[in-house]
Amino acid sequence: MANHGVLLALLLLLPLHCFSFSEENPTDRRILVLVDDLAIRSSHSIFFKSLETRGFDLDFKLSDDPKLTLQRYGHYLYDGLVLFSPSTQRFGGSVDMAAILDFVDAGHDLILAADSSASDLVRGIATECGVDFDEDPEAVVIDHTSYAVSETEGDHTLIASDSFINSNVILGDKKIEAPVLFQGIGHSLNSANSLVLKVLSASPSAYSANPKAKLSSPPSLTGSAISLVSVVQARNNARILISGSLALFSNRFLRSGVLKVGSSVKYEKSGNEQFVTEISKWVFHERGHLKAVNVKHNKAGEKSEPAIYRINDDLEYSLEIYEWSGTSWKPYIADDVQVQFYMMSPYVLKTLSNDQKGLYSTSFKVPDVYGVFQFKVEYQRLGYTSLSLAKQIPVRPFRHNEYERFIPAAFPYYGASFSTMAGFFIFTIVYLYNK
Amino acid sequence: MAKTTASDAQALIRSLRSAYASTPTNLKIIDLYVVFAVLTAIIQVAYMGIVGSFPFNSFLSGVLSCVGTAVLAVCLRIQVNKDNKEFKDLPPERAFADFVLCNLVLHLVIMNFLG
Repeated sequence: MANHGVLLALLLLLPLHCFSFSEENPTDRRILVLVDDLAIRSSHSIFFKSLETRGFDLDFKLSDDPKLTLQRYGHYLYDGLVLFSPSTQRFGGSVDMAAILDFVDAGHDLILAADSSASDLVRGIATECGVDFDEDPEAVVIDHTSYAVSETEGDHTLIASDSFINSNVILGDKKIEAPVLFQGIGHSLNSANSLVLKVLSASPSAYSANPKAKLSSPPSLTGSAISLVSVVQARNNARILISGSLALFSNRFLRSGVLKVGSSVKYEKSGNEQFVTEISKWVFHERGHLKAVNVKHNKAGEKSEPAIYRINDDLEYSLEIYEWSGTSWKPYIADDVQVQFYMMSPYVLKTLSNDQKGLYSTSFKVPDVYGVFQFKVEYQRLGYTSLSLAKQIPVRPFRHNEYERFIPAAFPYYGASFSTMAGFFIFTIVYLYNK
Repeated sequence: MAKTTASDAQALIRSLRSAYASTPTNLKIIDLYVVFAVLTAIIQVAYMGIVGSFPFNSFLSGVLSCVGTAVLAVCLRIQVNKDNKEFKDLPPERAFADFVLCNLVLHLVIMNFLG
């Protein structure tokens, strides 16, 4: 009877297991949304709805829920985490800053939204990810030249920004026409962190200060050094989105029209909806996730993969690269994929040609150097997950009987050798018999 | 001045030739053999300068067989020279046997390296 119970539990758990993040199916499936007020669930429902219609399984929890946990029995219960709880001082349960950073280190994705009430905890997580929010707790981003005209707000903290990162893979192929509304705190990128990217930056006239107080000293963050929304792709391909504004994702901003000051065009709808949809697709690996399969190499004209090459062999190298589209693997087409034939430094560096169906191939001659080489593909492009392949292959010199013999150009040398031998023979006879 | 230099040179060569004429025949034979080896080596170096050093091992073995032959022959000449007091205890037959053995070893190596 107990056995039946276990079996039943396994059967029930099996489908859950199938839908989780895997190599073959890299899109996140289970997402934990932490909020500090359940009202966010309704005030940001359009964003959550778009995630749900794309097949995500959202789990809403209060950030101080005492039963909160990210992993059980060493396995993570979620593939992605949305932190819409800017004012939380401490998470409930077993979750803390270290647990969230471990979650990211394990290759999972994170969306973090702060606002002017951002707690030290949220600021700390952002700092660990490579962005520093303005330390002044009262400061928000103010811009007197590119604010959105509004009937109720006159302090120019509602910003209409359209300086996006120039990357189709992060923001989608369709250009975002309308400006994105932003109201919240600014951050700067840690210059020591090369993985963090500004996705939405402030205009050169923006600054970060307390709008209610008189500005007595120069603001610490000014101009386009202020980042409004940033992304990080870690070396383990975990993706992080950090926004200084929680309202950016809200229904109010998604549905609102926008008239940027100084512009004659009034957009019926802000760019926020397209922006948050496209960037969440990127963060949750529905776009820009590459895989390389069928890495093959062989001697020219042969089919099987040899265990060793000889110097000056002609060889062929090929691999297939696919991009995950959210539902299936599509061929990835680019003309800048390169392979290295590498031993301490690349001896051969060749750009691979592709057949428009994802198959990349090239052929080259093994250099006249023997040793242990590697076929290396190091492909790192903005927004795409990095491909890093290395395959070791030894290269041997000619065998003793593989050298060319009886070369016409060497005949004089052969002749000279034999003539000295003959000379030796004649000399011996003459020398011995001349007396 | 020039005239005296030329006549001096002529006198020098003449005296050298007359002195060389008194050299024993077996040493003259060795000298001829050395000249043959050195000329062969020079021809090969000139050929390499024209054609290039591609079968470099063949070139090396060709030239080294000549150089080795010349060196061994000079060694033999030193040992069998009656005027050389250093080797007066060494019988010329023993010196010639050494010479033959060394040549055999040299040509064995050359054949292996010729390619």
